Amino acid sequence: MTMMGSPLIPSERIELDALTAAVQERFRAAVSPSRGDNGAALCMLMNESGALPALCRFLFWDMGCSFGGVIVEELSRNWQLSYVFLAAGSGWINVILELPLGANSVPSISAEVHAADWFEREAEDLFGLQFEGHPRLGDFILHDQIWPEGVAPHRKPQRKSVDVHQTHFRRRPNPEWRPLLVVQDPGSFAMPVGPVYEGGIGEALHFLLETVGEDVLRAVPRLFYKFRAVEKIAEGKSVSDVLLLAERFAATSSFAHSLAFSLAVERICDLEVPVRATHLRVLLAELERLRHHTGAITGICESTALAVAASQAAIVEEQLLRASCQFAGHRYLFGLNTPGGVRRDFANEDFHNLVTAVDHAVEDLRVLEDRLRFTSSFLDRLEDVGVVDPDKARDLNLVGPVGRASGRAHDLRRECPYGGYDKYEFEIPREVEGDGYARLRVLFREAQESAGLIHQAIQRLQPGPVFAPCEIHPSGMALGWAEAPIGATLHWIRLDDSGLVERYRAITPSFNNWLGFHAAVEDFAFQDFPIILATFGLSATECDR
Amino acid sequence: MLTWTGGALGLFFIFCGCGLLLSAAARGKYPMRVLVVCSTICSILMMLAAVAALATGRSFETHLWNLEGLGRFTLRLDMLSAIFLFAAGLVYLPASLFVRNFVEVRFGGRYPARRYAVLHFALMASVVLILTASDAPLFLISWECMSILCYFLMNYEQSPRTDTRAGYIMLGMSEAGFLAVVVAFLILGRGSSDWSFSALTAAASHLSTGAVWGVFLLGFLGFGVKAGLVPVNFWLPRCYTAAPSIFVPVLAGVTLNLGFYGILRLNTDLISSRGLGTGLFALIAGSITALVGILYATTENDMKKMLAHSSIENAGIVVAAIGASLVFRASGYAVPAAIALTAALYHMINHSVYKTLLFQGVGDIEAATGTREMDRLGGLAHFLPALSVVFLVGCLSIAAIPPFNGFVSEWLTLQCLLRSAVLLSPAVKILFALCGACLALTAALAVTCFVKVYSMSFLGIRRGKWRPRGRQKGTWPQFPLAYLAIACLLLGVLPTYVIPVLNRAVEPLVGASASSSLVPPFFTATPANQQLPPAFLEDFHNLGAQTGSSALPGRGLVVLTRGSEQNPVIFAMSPSYSVVALAIFLFATWIIVVRSTRKRSVVRKELWAGGIPRLLPEMTYTATGFSNPVRVVFQAIFRPNIVEDTRETVAVHFRTAILRRRDETHLVDRLFLHPVGEAASWFATLLARMHHGRLNAYVAYTLAFLIIILLLFRIS
Amino acid sequence: MSFWFWHGLKKGVRTTRYPRGRESAWGVSPGRPVTTEFGSSEDASRAAANCPVDAIIARGSSACVELERCIYCQRCHFGSSHVLEWKPDYEWTMVASGREKCEPLPDAYRRSLHVIVVDAGDCGACLHEVKQLNNPLYNMHRLGFFFTATPRTADVLLVVGPVSENMRVPLVKTYEAMPDPKRVLAVGTCAITGGVFGRTFMSAGGVASVLPVDLEVPGDPPPPLAVLHGLLVVTGRKPPVPRDSLLERSL
Repeated sequence: MTMMGSPLIPSERIELDALTAAVQERFRAAVSPSRGDNGAALCMLMNESGALPALCRFLFWDMGCSFGGVIVEELSRNWQLSYVFLAAGSGWINVILELPLGANSVPSISAEVHAADWFEREAEDLFGLQFEGHPRLGDFILHDQIWPEGVAPHRKPQRKSVDVHQTHFRRRPNPEWRPLLVVQDPGSFAMPVGPVYEGGIGEALHFLLETVGEDVLRAVPRLFYKFRAVEKIAEGKSVSDVLLLAERFAATSSFAHSLAFSLAVERICDLEVPVRATHLRVLLAELERLRHHTGAITGICESTALAVAASQAAIVEEQLLRASCQFAGHRYLFGLNTPGGVRRDFANEDFHNLVTAVDHAVEDLRVLEDRLRFTSSFLDRLEDVGVVDPDKARDLNLVGPVGRASGRAHDLRRECPYGGYDKYEFEIPREVEGDGYARLRVLFREAQESAGLIHQAIQRLQPGPVFAPCEIHPSGMALGWAEAPIGATLHWIRLDDSGLVERYRAITPSFNNWLGFHAAVEDFAFQDFPIILATFGLSATECDR
Repeated sequence: MLTWTGGALGLFFIFCGCGLLLSAAARGKYPMRVLVVCSTICSILMMLAAVAALATGRSFETHLWNLEGLGRFTLRLDMLSAIFLFAAGLVYLPASLFVRNFVEVRFGGRYPARRYAVLHFALMASVVLILTASDAPLFLISWECMSILCYFLMNYEQSPRTDTRAGYIMLGMSEAGFLAVVVAFLILGRGSSDWSFSALTAAASHLSTGAVWGVFLLGFLGFGVKAGLVPVNFWLPRCYTAAPSIFVPVLAGVTLNLGFYGILRLNTDLISSRGLGTGLFALIAGSITALVGILYATTENDMKKMLAHSSIENAGIVVAAIGASLVFRASGYAVPAAIALTAALYHMINHSVYKTLLFQGVGDIEAATGTREMDRLGGLAHFLPALSVVFLVGCLSIAAIPPFNGFVSEWLTLQCLLRSAVLLSPAVKILFALCGACLALTAALAVTCFVKVYSMSFLGIRRGKWRPRGRQKGTWPQFPLAYLAIACLLLGVLPTYVIPVLNRAVEPLVGASASSSLVPPFFTATPANQQLPPAFLEDFHNLGAQTGSSALPGRGLVVLTRGSEQNPVIFAMSPSYSVVALAIFLFATWIIVVRSTRKRSVVRKELWAGGIPRLLPEMTYTATGFSNPVRVVFQAIFRPNIVEDTRETVAVHFRTAILRRRDETHLVDRLFLHPVGEAASWFATLLARMHHGRLNAYVAYTLAFLIIILLLFRIS
Repeated sequence: MSFWFWHGLKKGVRTTRYPRGRESAWGVSPGRPVTTEFGSSEDASRAAANCPVDAIIARGSSACVELERCIYCQRCHFGSSHVLEWKPDYEWTMVASGREKCEPLPDAYRRSLHVIVVDAGDCGACLHEVKQLNNPLYNMHRLGFFFTATPRTADVLLVVGPVSENMRVPLVKTYEAMPDPKRVLAVGTCAITGGVFGRTFMSAGGVASVLPVDLEVPGDPPPPLAVLHGLLVVTGRKPPVPRDSLLERSL
């Protein structure tokens, strides 16, 4: 297995023609490549399901593509599984595997592409598909302790609005259940943390920290306490209703998700949004990114108990929230994006106020960064803590600032430009140490870059409309993507004959990075655990949907 | 003339002999009844004899038969022997009451009780003979009998599960120790006319320094085998673990003390050391033993092995106190020497009591749950509530928490080490300070160890898969443990009554009285009493030191550390008053709490564990986790050989198991046993060259040997 | 290290005056839609049809808003015809529906309240707003409110999120682990009516179907000052807003 071991530098572009030729040469009749539409640049239809693991390994390791995710759809006559890969600079590659509805087992690609591990577990829990060769299925989204076997809630026959007290879903904790622990030592035990987080205010996460007393040997996360089946609720709803869902399942990155969703719908409708709307979207997305990163910096300072820095960063974040509210009418930028553009326009005075607020925020962050660099007690707790080396980051397909701190300078705004980003100038920060301090530096740099992008967006604004009406094409499907603050997010939409949503799939960056978190973090001291969590800055709600 | 002491001793031997013969001859269930009844009576008689001797203050002496060449066998119960005899009786009483339950119920009648009874009585007789022997041959013969009987009792249970090799190790070490003791006595008796202890004492004053050192070292190592001192104690953990539960209390409570008895008899009675060196050696050896013992005890998860290591620790403390006493006496400070020796004897008695209690408790736990591993226990307080209370008393005592007995003896030991300020030589003072620090560290680690023991086995939720078995049958199963627990409490609360009794043994050995400086006579002091200046008495009377003088006998209830003229009292404590004050404060607090929360209702709900459906045993702290910091901090001592950390995976990133394996050899094994073993092997290999099988060479050996002997005869 | 001390002091005090005065800075709250008078009942019905969650009710020729359903999609604020008027407000804590009134906690808790926050599946915005209460601009410690980590020492259970199925048991256990007297505060539209997630097999559709709720703070998300108002109502330092007045109140 050849590995392109070095992290992908953004200038390395993968040519699709060369890739198609290589695939055809190697796999011949097993794969039928074709030009893609609906968002993907290249589609590869698998004629033989057995060649799937080898093809995925070839794409991921030999050709250097990154892994996007797995989209499982239960159509009227067959299953369709799409394995999405990204060829840097060229676009998305969709590897499509079709199975008859009666067939239940799929060859697992987790042994080759480790980043697919959780996607396959999710599909098994929600759809009941068995992935041959996956080492551990089950007890993922539907916790074995309370859910009985054999429940596959995303399958078609289920109704989405089920009475909560229906007997079929009655659940009681299973007294025989035991967690699957890894450390085999007679004196080892697993300390439970959560789901009502003992550290104050936190999201509903559950960890089992396996230890023999001194260091934590392994952290076993049990997520999906916040699973609300957003993808299932979306089925049968209109596009504007699903837009509300897309905004609200992960509110701290709500604009990015609504942007990806809107781009997907616009791709279905083949619509070009007005130029002013493009620039406004960039402005709002970068505003959200700046605010989100400030929140992450606040979280890191809080976790290391540097109280003054945490307070100052929290003030900056609150100022940005207030600026967002003053500018757009909602602190978290709800209700602005819509397929076809932006729902409202802004006056010059609004831009002026926003720029003032952003500049103040950026200046405060710069002062903060300058002083944190010289606070040795703070750096001591961040350096060499939670290290993810570049090879592991590549292996586990980390995205976003976490990936960039470990040498993976991937950014959808640069590699697969969307929404007008190809005309903007900005740097992608990249560090190689992969420790907590590298992640913090990446956050600061990106915040600065976002402020620069906001300035550029305002300068490029020309008077014009901000909305073009969008006519929904029935039976369309498309992929939409955006670089959310935490990383790359993909939204896939398939509409049925009457224009309602038949399948809505959201692949979120937190889902990717949580897999990387638990596999990359081993052997740490108890007191470093909240710090590692804070430096990763992951969102449980975005992962759980 | 027949005194109480003599009468009790005589009766003891009669009952012992009867018990032995009857149980050997009887059939069916009679041996067991004979065993229990006679053994109980014998232990009561032991205590009675000792009490009689201590009460009257007169030793009892009698001559037995005369053997040609070995001299006259004499029995003498003096004050020192009386104290050890009392301690032995204290331990044998509950041991006798438990034995039926153990042999019948646990063993289910697989092994004949008759065999056990015979060995039991023989051991009891040999122990008493050791303690009352007044001449070397009787002493040595009974010591050897005791070693062999211990071996037989240890290997009483012969099943595939038990470790019978441990018995061989114990026998081997006992024999080696015995040889060392014999050589010591030989050196000692080279210049004396006969072998009785009094003659040996007279001869000892003419020994050269080298000979004194030789006797001391050989005696120290030889008796140290039984006492469990570094470097000859590597057999102890393994053998205590392998011994059956009924015999271990006797091992830990009686035979351990025989080691101390030997050292004391040899060094304070027979030879009076003139130099500081021997005392310092004992002090340092004792401190190191204590520290090593408690370190291994804290990180050990098998309860029996942990208690064995803890016995090593306590032995170290006793020997350290003995060493301090020798140093003080050699420097000419008799009063501190007396105090140190009192501390040593007090600790010896305390150790016998609480160690028996703990070992018996562990035996009960093993009978009820089938396991001794602390990692598998937990939640026993629900199933064995009575045992949990008594075991708690034992743990508190051994961790030296007031008001129990461990506190008093450890306090006295540390105080006497602090008195090294009176010594002249700075080097000696530094050594005392270092050993004092060592013992303080030991005490702290002991608290850690026993907090872990009690909380991991009795508190929390059940971790293993055992189910609690039924109650034990037998004679009032809780009575012996309760009796020991009450003894712990009494020895801790009434030290001012114990110290004068111990003083009777200490005074003839050291030449000064400890009780006058430790326990001033607040109850009985008159203004004319010159021992205490009136101003001093006045201060203490204002503090209430006379409380209870009308109702209680004795000298007073306060234990002091006396200082110089300017600073007459450095420290004073009174466990008796403290316990009363503690009771009053607790009661008052309880009243206040009850009254102030009268309006509130208490609702019991389930444990809060972060919202998870159920707190599983895998999620609670284990004993290994609790003691891991100690293991990590003292890693240089533990020096694990291999720490394997294999991580198995199915796919590269997917771990299925992390296996950890840790191999350690005991420090003493590493530093002493293995080098000695290797040296012995090397020497044996060297000698093996002589055995090459050639007949001519063997004839040559004979010839050479003959020539050498002729030459020797010629020279001499 | 002394840098941080002086740096913090130099920045000065920037805490809001609320509740001793009104906070009038821009952006502290998105405000809320209020009852708007349209000319005719058709216009009012068209305004009501704008709302994807049926939070706007047409009553004659005016349209009023049931705030506990409003998900702040802003469709009645801009971007469509028949928009409603919005008022800058942040005090809208109500007694839970189906209850007459809510007894505030006894006087001992007035200036010393311990709150435990349970995330029962919320989108992150409500939790983020609650977290902002600790920053220097709001600083709830000066009012005597604290967040605790364990329900054993908590007086108020603050729930955000529509109660996802996997969090139902932990939420109920948290409630049961709290000693009396205790109050339950449902913060956010999702916690009151389920929001966009509604009542499904994975979402209980609001805290009221799982626990007895005392006070509700609608909003998606409610700004920090609204949550603070909710805590003040729990302790009795401010009265709850009557449900009807929210429906009727206008500029």
